[in-house]
Amino acid sequence: MIDASVRTLVERALEVARSAGATYVDARSLAEESESINVQDSQVKGIERGVSAGIGVRVIADGAWGFAGTARPEPASVERAARFAVEIARSSRPLRRAPVRFAGETPAVASWASPVQEDPFEVPLDAKISLLVSAADRMREVGGISIAEASIDLWRRRSFLATSEGARIEQTIVQSGAGIRAVAVGEREVQQRSYPASFRGNFACRGYEHIRAMDLAGNAARTAEEAVALLAAPECPSGETTLLLDPPQLALQIHESIGHPIELDRVLGMEAAYAGTSFLAPADRGRLRYGSEAVNVTADATIPGALGSFGYDDEGVPARRVEVISEGIFRRFISSRETAPEIGEEGSNGTMRADTWGHIPLIRMTNINLEPGDSSLERMIAETDDGILMSTNQSWSIDDHRVNFQFGCEIAWEIKRGKRGRMLRNPNYSGRTTEFWSSCDAVAGPDEWGVWGTPNCGKGQPGQTARVAHGTSPARFRGVRVGVRG
Amino acid sequence: MSAPLGPDRLADAAAAALSGGADGLLATIFHTWGGLTRFADSQVHQNTWQEDVETRVVAVVDDRRVGCANTHSLGHDAVGRAAADAVAIARAAPPDPDFPGLAPPATPAEKDAYDEATAAAPPSERTAAVARVLAVLPPGIGAAGFVETGGTEVLLASTTGLRVYARSTSASMSVLASAEDSSGFAEVAERRLSDLDPEALAGRAARKAELGRDPRPIEAGEYTVVLEPAATATLIQFLAFLGFGAKAYLEGRSFLSGRLGDTVCSDLVTITDDALAADALGLPFDFEGTPARRVPIIERGVARDVVWDRTTAAKAGRSSTGHALPPPNPEGPLPLNIRMEPGDTPVEQLIASTARGLLVTRFHYSNVVSEKETVLTGMTRDGTFAIEDGRLAHGVRNLRYTQNALAALGAVEAVGDRTEISTELFFGGSRAPALKIARFNFSSATTY
Repeated sequence: MIDASVRTLVERALEVARSAGATYVDARSLAEESESINVQDSQVKGIERGVSAGIGVRVIADGAWGFAGTARPEPASVERAARFAVEIARSSRPLRRAPVRFAGETPAVASWASPVQEDPFEVPLDAKISLLVSAADRMREVGGISIAEASIDLWRRRSFLATSEGARIEQTIVQSGAGIRAVAVGEREVQQRSYPASFRGNFACRGYEHIRAMDLAGNAARTAEEAVALLAAPECPSGETTLLLDPPQLALQIHESIGHPIELDRVLGMEAAYAGTSFLAPADRGRLRYGSEAVNVTADATIPGALGSFGYDDEGVPARRVEVISEGIFRRFISSRETAPEIGEEGSNGTMRADTWGHIPLIRMTNINLEPGDSSLERMIAETDDGILMSTNQSWSIDDHRVNFQFGCEIAWEIKRGKRGRMLRNPNYSGRTTEFWSSCDAVAGPDEWGVWGTPNCGKGQPGQTARVAHGTSPARFRGVRVGVRG
Repeated sequence: MSAPLGPDRLADAAAAALSGGADGLLATIFHTWGGLTRFADSQVHQNTWQEDVETRVVAVVDDRRVGCANTHSLGHDAVGRAAADAVAIARAAPPDPDFPGLAPPATPAEKDAYDEATAAAPPSERTAAVARVLAVLPPGIGAAGFVETGGTEVLLASTTGLRVYARSTSASMSVLASAEDSSGFAEVAERRLSDLDPEALAGRAARKAELGRDPRPIEAGEYTVVLEPAATATLIQFLAFLGFGAKAYLEGRSFLSGRLGDTVCSDLVTITDDALAADALGLPFDFEGTPARRVPIIERGVARDVVWDRTTAAKAGRSSTGHALPPPNPEGPLPLNIRMEPGDTPVEQLIASTARGLLVTRFHYSNVVSEKETVLTGMTRDGTFAIEDGRLAHGVRNLRYTQNALAALGAVEAVGDRTEISTELFFGGSRAPALKIARFNFSSATTY
């Protein structure tokens, strides 16, 4: 439950902003607890707990947006922020061609919490340290490992959104993640392997049960052995070939080449000066062939336990599942209450989220998923005469229209005559978004489908970091350029 | 709307942390405030302000057991709870044999980095700057970008008697000018809002958009390039991230590991980290409280040093250069005030001396292909031009580069005579000049 004093402050912010002339107000309190544990080479290299709490007030006044947020919980500071948000909005009005249009939404009075079996903040610190140190120890037992890292990251977000329309929504979302990384340093190269995914592991809106299920220690030796073996593996060849991607890599491929281009604020140019725009236009709905018939993509904020799930977005819109691409044809953007009317849609599909109390909500990916097909990794390999299977993202790059991309992976294996062969180092591939997705000829089925949390999606100015996710199973792509060299 | 709270108010909050029961305690207090006005499609669409306070506490028990906790509050109760949390974590943590102890008292250099008018700038001054941009745009050119003003004050205090304080302001702005099939970009970061020149920035971005109309397709391949300062900044910021920190150096992951004293690139290249330079935006001390030192990293092509914090310095038997990041910091020290020294060639001359090549305004979404080999990839954007017979001939469609960054610095033929602060998507700002590079590899093209 949200503390009564915080509720009072939020309600007071609404009153003050309205009496200062706002025609619409939302006030949102957010208190986020965090815990981060880092282990390197079996030594603890940093444990931190924190709490960030504050209130943000967003208004429409004179037809323009204003926002002010404060970490200072005194009534005077919150009232000042509310009045200041109105002043900011009024300063914007001369530089708008038309008043903000804001789609209606039935105000919800609700509370929502993510599923948690074991509260990760209640697990004793020494148990968490022990789990990470044992995984690091097992990596270090492998000869040739230079660095063995293990980490846990936890967050608990308690929010209360009140709008001048009458919405009152409380949410508690617990997010957990962990991962390990083994690094082997050679004379001229550095190679790494991560488990279960790179960039601090896999994340979910779940409790400590999510971390226990990873079995970090049980996967440590294999992870380290692969890192060492990579130093001596042959280089990924250059050329065009059949490419198979595993879910941790495919998750980022979906993120960069589908998740970002379908953000309607990008399409409308709102992010043009910073992260860029999108090759998509409103007229592409129902017409553009985004991929092959094997490509079905949803935006689904209702998947239990997925990192991009929630009950309501930060505009009070309930979480929902949206068809983005059906049998390869582009269908829907992800939108907000401001952007949806701009393209003739009645209402938002509920994707506005802010990372902190001090930032405005932006259109953010929820769980953007490549729906399962009817193949399997084993079958896709068996059907491939000559190809490469790449695993685990190492780097990513895509242009500001989200067309030309290049990804690097940690590891690859060649596929010859239907069998997985030798390991390859420094694999990468490049392509163009719709050509690439159109080359997808197989997607594995529901048995191999899982959701992969991406806790570090950057967007906006001031910069915000969103926690999003991507459901996918392995998939196969034909005629992809691999082995791009400098 | 806001103003500094001052060192005494921040020290009062720190005192609530330092009274916790531990062998040693370090409190770092941040107070930040500011407004950011964004515009797109030639109108203001987002306009925000926030004020934040944060207290970070490092507790040390039994000599080498360390815990950290933070709270976004200056209240004695909240800060006391954070300190108690840090102590509890430290008691539960195994000893860290590499922990060098808390820093002793120090007296950092004085740095005048604060402007009251910028700290207190009302939203109307930011929107006025946007209006000045929009007023000078030629017909058919739209604009997007931002104007930001704000202030920061930081205090570090510890049970060793350390107490350092600094305050600063910043004013920054970018303009993306867009025509139907082309765009141009310019940005600036200063201490004072009054030093921003919106019309000049808009003019520069708009000229690129106009010159770049009807961009022509171009084959990927190796070209002589003139990189404008923002593009140079991308290369040196990635090099800094990959190899200018002592942790990567000691672990053998840095491309400079074992190469200090070697010639690693062109003798036209000198790179330093210098938070104390008058035109640098950084603090005069690091987050352990050590005064920041100017560190020559590459001098006339020769690798000289990397940057150090107390942990890495103790391991190597030397002293910190004042480059620690906020604790806990598993990444080790990093240079946050990188600068490449200017040369003596005006950018116009870099272009005039190029018979056939490309001019790159900036790169987008660059990332690492190969860490130790310093191979990067990324896209050009917002003004890529063909140079023919010493002049900008026409705009070209954007290209993906895949290039060894250190090798690119090895092929520098001339260095621009002015530096600018530029930001990179994943990092902060750095100061860099334009460069003429004999060979630069573009691996694929795009359609716009």
